[in-house]
Amino acid sequence: MTLYAGGLRSAFGLGRRTSAKVIPFALAVLAFVPALVQVAVGALTSRLDADVDLFAHEDYFGYVQIILILFCAAVAPELVGRDQRDRSISLYFSRAVSRVDYALAKLAALVSVMLVLTLGPQMLLFVGNGMVEDDLDGYLRDSWDLLPPILAGALFLSAAIAGVGLAIASFVPRRAYATAAIVGVFVLTTSVAGILMETADVSFARYALLVSPLVWEGAILWFFGARPDPGSEIRDADFHGAVYAVAGVVTILATTALTIVRFRRMQA
Amino acid sequence: MSLIATRGLTKRYGDVLALDALDLELEPGVIGLVGANGAGKSTLIRILLGLLQPTAGSAQLFGLDVVSDGLAVRRRVGYMPEHDCLPLDVSATEFVAHMARINGLPKSAARERTAETLRHIGLFEERYREMRGYSTGMRQRVKLAQALVHDPELLLLDEPTNGLDPAGRDDMLDLVRRIGTEFGISLLMSSHLLSEIERVCDHLVVIDTGRLVQSDRIVAFTGRTEVVTVEVDGSAAMLAAYLRERGIEAHEGRRTLELHLADAASYDAVRDGAAALGLGLVRVEQGRRRLEDLFRDEAPEEPAPV
Repeated sequence: MTLYAGGLRSAFGLGRRTSAKVIPFALAVLAFVPALVQVAVGALTSRLDADVDLFAHEDYFGYVQIILILFCAAVAPELVGRDQRDRSISLYFSRAVSRVDYALAKLAALVSVMLVLTLGPQMLLFVGNGMVEDDLDGYLRDSWDLLPPILAGALFLSAAIAGVGLAIASFVPRRAYATAAIVGVFVLTTSVAGILMETADVSFARYALLVSPLVWEGAILWFFGARPDPGSEIRDADFHGAVYAVAGVVTILATTALTIVRFRRMQA
Repeated sequence: MSLIATRGLTKRYGDVLALDALDLELEPGVIGLVGANGAGKSTLIRILLGLLQPTAGSAQLFGLDVVSDGLAVRRRVGYMPEHDCLPLDVSATEFVAHMARINGLPKSAARERTAETLRHIGLFEERYREMRGYSTGMRQRVKLAQALVHDPELLLLDEPTNGLDPAGRDDMLDLVRRIGTEFGISLLMSSHLLSEIERVCDHLVVIDTGRLVQSDRIVAFTGRTEVVTVEVDGSAAMLAAYLRERGIEAHEGRRTLELHLADAASYDAVRDGAAALGLGLVRVEQGRRRLEDLFRDEAPEEPAPV
């Protein structure tokens, strides 16, 4: 529990010098910007009786995805790399902390801070849109069915990015390398999947999507019951939405297991 | 029930045998673990902490197996590693309190114990500063503090004086001895310097290439009460003869004599003899054998790695 709380603190650099706080806070703020813009624009245009929908719920995760990845790449090495670099990890493992608990506490901490960035803006958008409407009650009645997919999508996305990021970071103690590796893995899998979809036979290439971040997009569109844009890889691959969800859950479980194995085997 | 017990404890790294069927049985107290570098001291400590798995054999602390009851064991011990283990960009207070919380202390208790512990180990205003600016001595103190903060029953100190200058070394040894005597915490301290162990500990375990050389009370090693050297400003032979008449065995040199003294009466005999013979006593010294003399061959001293 303390490890979890400590993880939350260290994720945002609390208790440390200012320079440790800048990047996580800046990225967190960035993730909120589109929601703020939408709410502000909505507020300005509501008198004109025009319905401007710049950033919709189902697309929002796509807009901020790169911010989420950067945030994870900045924070995950902080959570699991520092203890290895400082070698304070042997102090944890020589206390009454099991290695599995250590790994899970770190994962829980990372998922939680990711939730701030995934769920936070969505809720701001939801409440903001409601406030902009004159009829708040009516809005809530009409839109309450958005909440389950928002929650599911935020949790799913947070766990998926955190799982992958933490697994990589736990194997790469050096912060700069870990950050690069995390961003690299996300970018690489996305582009490989994209290229394969362009060049190779779709019936085969579409499986590459299942190990790329496009999984999240597919799953989240499915949560919202939305159709992917024509021409997008997800439309071309033509999987059932549940396939993405399952692939995502498998990724989360596999990376979690990998992180646990890493800490169990670690020479402290 | 013994504090530390190992049975056939063996640890193998590839071809290297770090611990070779080690059998130990240690009672609570201040225990010194001596051996040359690579003798297996750290390996033993790390196995006791569950940081390493033994290749064969078993080890118990407080009668609990360190592998199967690892969590229960580790709840009751404090560990000061040999290597650096401090995050340098937080303050000592923050770090030690965090470690106390990891041990399950509630927030307020953790803060209280942290302040208390840091005061004990002699860290005052500096404790709110980033540890980056600390000297080696201060860092060693913080390492000790984090091991002590949750009030363990047993402290495992791996080379606590490593990298310290002579003054820092003295301070650290005093601190360790105080913890052992005043707080009544049992303590296992490793060192490759016999003189350090001798100053602090009351029990000595000597290991070499993973095997037990000897385990006994320090007194048994040094024979503290036995030999006394007396130096006089005249004929030592006369005094020796005087003592022999009174049934005290003495070996004379030219101006000194060595004798086995069992009690205060023997000292009185030396004094009376010197007075009767008109000899001046230059010095009366407990000719205490140093541990180094005993282990000069088994445990060659090496300079501390810096």
